[in-house]
Amino acid sequence: MNNYYRSWPITLLLTLISLPLLIMFIFQIIDNFTNPAPGGIWPSSFTLEHWRFLWETPKTGESYIWTVTFNTFIFASTTSIMVTSLSMTSGYVLSRLDIPGRKIFLAGLIMLHAFPTISLIVAIFLTLQIMGLYNTLLGVILVKSALELPFGVWIMKGFYDTVPWEIEMAGIQDGASRFTVWRKLILPQVQPGIAALLIFSFLSGWSEFVLPLVLAPSSDVQVLSTYLSALILDDNKFDFNLFKSVGTFYAIPVIIIYIVFQKKLMNIYGGGTKG
Amino acid sequence: MNRINWFGFIFISPVLIMVLLFFLTPVVMTAFFSFTNMSTSTGIKGGEYLINQETIKEIKKYNIQKDTIEKLENAGYSINEEGLKIISEKYKESLSNEIKSLYFGDKFSNRKDLERALKKLKKNKIKKTRDRKEIAEIFKESIINERFVSKSIFEENLIKLEINQNDREVIIKESYTGWSWTNNNFKLIYNLPSSYKFAFYTLIYVSFTLTFNVVFGLFLAISTFYLPSKTASTFRTIWFLPRILPPVLYVLMWKWFTWDTGFISQMSTYFGASPKNWMMDSPIHAWTVIVLINGFVGASFGMILFSSAIKAIPSSMLYASEVDGANRWQQIWNIIIPQLRWPIMFTTAYQTLSLLTSFEYILLATNGGPGRSTEVWALAAYHTALQNYAGNLQYGLGATYALVLVIIGIIASLFYLKFFNFKDLVTKPRIEG
Repeated sequence: MNNYYRSWPITLLLTLISLPLLIMFIFQIIDNFTNPAPGGIWPSSFTLEHWRFLWETPKTGESYIWTVTFNTFIFASTTSIMVTSLSMTSGYVLSRLDIPGRKIFLAGLIMLHAFPTISLIVAIFLTLQIMGLYNTLLGVILVKSALELPFGVWIMKGFYDTVPWEIEMAGIQDGASRFTVWRKLILPQVQPGIAALLIFSFLSGWSEFVLPLVLAPSSDVQVLSTYLSALILDDNKFDFNLFKSVGTFYAIPVIIIYIVFQKKLMNIYGGGTKG
Repeated sequence: MNRINWFGFIFISPVLIMVLLFFLTPVVMTAFFSFTNMSTSTGIKGGEYLINQETIKEIKKYNIQKDTIEKLENAGYSINEEGLKIISEKYKESLSNEIKSLYFGDKFSNRKDLERALKKLKKNKIKKTRDRKEIAEIFKESIINERFVSKSIFEENLIKLEINQNDREVIIKESYTGWSWTNNNFKLIYNLPSSYKFAFYTLIYVSFTLTFNVVFGLFLAISTFYLPSKTASTFRTIWFLPRILPPVLYVLMWKWFTWDTGFISQMSTYFGASPKNWMMDSPIHAWTVIVLINGFVGASFGMILFSSAIKAIPSSMLYASEVDGANRWQQIWNIIIPQLRWPIMFTTAYQTLSLLTSFEYILLATNGGPGRSTEVWALAAYHTALQNYAGNLQYGLGATYALVLVIIGIIASLFYLKFFNFKDLVTKPRIEG
């Protein structure tokens, strides 16, 4: 279509507009391995010293990057598994079973899906203190999962809705229980949804900043997002190239997942959670 | 029938419990906390009873009996470990030991009695009356600065001091260190000029960012639509990255870009300008950067949604328009934009709500500065209740700020519910029992 129009003016315009982002991305990578000339920003020599945080033992009071990475991984993966497995079951119930109160559940689901969760942070903070889950990884995991659940259930319900009824009816005709039908016949049909939700909620947990910052500030439950932001705020160690290297280290899993699962993610981000 | 219901119930209950505990409880709790004066100093679990100098000042403002304060300050004399320790440090250890052997644990209702007792010391005679007075004072007991865990214990102690009931009530009320119910938070927010500022900043933030998001998202979607698919997907990837990158890293890149050691400053030095912090230099700078930071993330939301909506336009319509001689501008204006009405409305509604309550990027970028010129409502709630430099976190007041957002959220999600085709959603499942 539109063969007689040239596309280069648009390409040029888009490139110009994208320039700030492109510059940021390019320097984000270059600065990991180079030192700038004194007083400037252009790279002048190759170095690996910005990555020293990976092998140096931290001073007292500082967290060790690998402990922090481990925490982040536990946080993101546990959240992801919890959200996905719970959404798998309840999405099916809301899509297929005639349980009492179904209408209310569905209405509640839509409302919670739209509800801006971040406005609850003050009350969540106080509730966790009262429950004694403040400053624990478990507390943050539970909160993050609960806040992510309406979205997950919504997505999974959508996937279940597309599965033809005939499959289920055939299974029931053959005398299988509802549980067997779900496990053996329906689950394989919604596998793309399960994969997409697993990836999405893992990424969401990996990137989460405000919840760990507020709910688990102590250094032994630090995650990479709070580690990096604390590093930036530390006036004694102002070193942009170090910050950037930690940032790159932090973003590597995100980039890999993005490259591998690009298509799946694009679909789910359409219904996005971030502003 | 029953078996199925049980199955459904078991399948859905974990979600119900989670959502109830960590989602609905906080909604209710926000309202609950907003009617309290909870803060760091009151704690959140109820408090103790403690009279200190501060409390006495407050008590004096009430109409109480003259000797009440004296009674509080002077609750008799008792020979205890603490006093003895002071004696051995200040005077002699042998004196302390002698007092201990003679009177340890004894109580004296007034100083005269104790002084008389001190006169009876044999080994370490205290000759001067003034010294005896001084030593006696060391053993003075008072209710001040003593902590009482419950009201009944505290009241018992007040009764022992023969303080009348009226004064007791005043003292109990004033010496309570825990939180109490109040509607002052609402009055305070209503009266504080700063809360109107926060509301105004929020308005600026939402309207500018939203306009940027929608217009720029539209621009990205339409322009990439006309590009060859490879070029288009490259640009979409570039613009999608801000959304997928962790916020902390994304904002870090902006800091590098705008701060005085960063890219813009460096570039401007080539034109003779001195480097400056382009993010924090003035409120205008800060606002521009904040709108851009949020807008570059938000634009991708519109981009994805609008792109898929444009793809759904039947290509025959576009071909037909070209045959009829419409140029691109007419095509965009008369065919594409009208088809995007719903996605645009959805994006606007959805992002208004999330922008109203979001503060993550502002917190990371300017933290409300310079001054408090980028302090939006949600950030004010966060700063009041969860993090500030003064150190006294006002949970109650912060919860009140948050409550406003929660109420807006509830109203907005009710609208959301209405816009959705709810009847379609609740069609009955086809397998019964």
